Amino acid sequence: MAIGHPSGSTVRIENVSKQYDSKQGPVQALGGVDFSVESGEFVCIVGPSGCGKTTLFRILAGLESPTGGEVLLNGSTVTEPNSDMGIVFQEYHLFPWQTVKENVAFGLKKSDIPADEKRRRVQHLIDLVGLAGFENSYPKALSGGMKQRVALARALAIDPSLLLMDEPFGAVDAQTREMLQAELVEIWQETAKTVLFVTHDVEEAVKLADRVVIMGKNPGSISEIVTVDLDRPRLRSDPEFGDYYERVRERIYQ
Amino acid sequence: MATDLDQQLMRATEETDVPLVGVDLRRALLGLGGLIGFIGLWWVVSLFQPAYVLPSPVAVADSFLAEATSGELSTALWQSIQHWIPGTIVGTFLGVSAGVAFGWSRLLDDITSPVVRTLRPVPPLALIGFAIAWFGINNAGAAFIIAIGAFWINFYASYGGVEGVSDDLLDVARSLGVQGDLELIRSVVIPAASPEIMTGIRTGIGRCWMLVVASEIFGVPGIGARILRASRNLQVDIVITYILVLSLMFLIVDTAFRAVQKRVLVWR
Repeated sequence: MAIGHPSGSTVRIENVSKQYDSKQGPVQALGGVDFSVESGEFVCIVGPSGCGKTTLFRILAGLESPTGGEVLLNGSTVTEPNSDMGIVFQEYHLFPWQTVKENVAFGLKKSDIPADEKRRRVQHLIDLVGLAGFENSYPKALSGGMKQRVALARALAIDPSLLLMDEPFGAVDAQTREMLQAELVEIWQETAKTVLFVTHDVEEAVKLADRVVIMGKNPGSISEIVTVDLDRPRLRSDPEFGDYYERVRERIYQ
Repeated sequence: MATDLDQQLMRATEETDVPLVGVDLRRALLGLGGLIGFIGLWWVVSLFQPAYVLPSPVAVADSFLAEATSGELSTALWQSIQHWIPGTIVGTFLGVSAGVAFGWSRLLDDITSPVVRTLRPVPPLALIGFAIAWFGINNAGAAFIIAIGAFWINFYASYGGVEGVSDDLLDVARSLGVQGDLELIRSVVIPAASPEIMTGIRTGIGRCWMLVVASEIFGVPGIGARILRASRNLQVDIVITYILVLSLMFLIVDTAFRAVQKRVLVWR
């Protein structure tokens, strides 16, 4: 593996809160979220809609600032997106004017890696996400699952130690989702990156995560953190999987 | 899965082979029919009218040939091109630049908005006094009038295009290490807004050919001046001849630009 940090990053979320001003007065979107993620850990954040998952994600990514508390990535406060984190959004957000290859290479444009090495890295990532042959296609010609693969490769290109994903497989069909989940776990195991993955899908969370952070609403906060102690690949049919699933589900909808 | 990917690949490669200029035979034939019908109608109507009201197509063809062979036509065309080109280029460049800048920067937009709204409704023709005072009765003066027309079209097209750029794409770019306004504008905003910018440029090019007549109203020689002189002498055949020249020039430039547009926006 040409790419890969010796280890992923650690993330500390310290008493993060977020308040929005609306016409009806201030709205508390997040009220004191506090947890940390170990290096190389795969953590899923689940919760019902309106629990502030996406707000938390945007704060983690440095796209929004918290009104209270802070996020520490490898010990330093996150104030804006930085090259230690690769971000994958639900809606892919590929650059439509660029080919697959150019999209993946986007974050490398300014780096001082030699052109040869860049080309090799881009090709490696395209192969890794299974898009060999599509290097020169434009996003319009790709299916949703393929677009998300490009987005993943693009985020991995800058070799971040943390991968931040916001419902990345929410917009693809069920079969593609399962395939992408399996591929993500493989890539994660191969690269030892830390992954923070937001989803509303309980099954997805139990299938992927080392730990599932369950959020509740009014205001958005952590209601429980469940450690999923199952070997991978995990099967839905496994009774233990079912137990975890029920436990998380009940906690969300109680 | 594998076959699925193969199909995708085939589709993807097919779609990148965009012909430079698409020709649809059926459309071309119908269009030709319409053109012949139009000229036929014109000819029939002209039979019942004196030449100073509506000359026949044959009379116009005669004067076209006469103007072309005497060299008058090419002289006038060359004179007009000498202000059409600089006027269009300068107006387009300034319009796109200002549109992108004001569309991007909230601060600039807030500062300039009242001035922009005051100046926007001023027709280029109303600025002829300034053209003469600032530049004189010459190509620069005429180019100024043309540039004003090109400016506003490109300004609003680019402004709208930039306003429409999704914040999410900007977030992605930031997360991939793009920092600073200039860098974001160069690598995301302009490419993302390029369809609107290109449409603006194309519309502007057409508008500038229309403005050629207006820009020569104060005495700069060219096609427009020729049309105005012929109008005064009731030489309607000459007027139509030069209108046709304008139409042809527009058609040539527009077709060429459309080909460029297709190439540049192949990703759409």
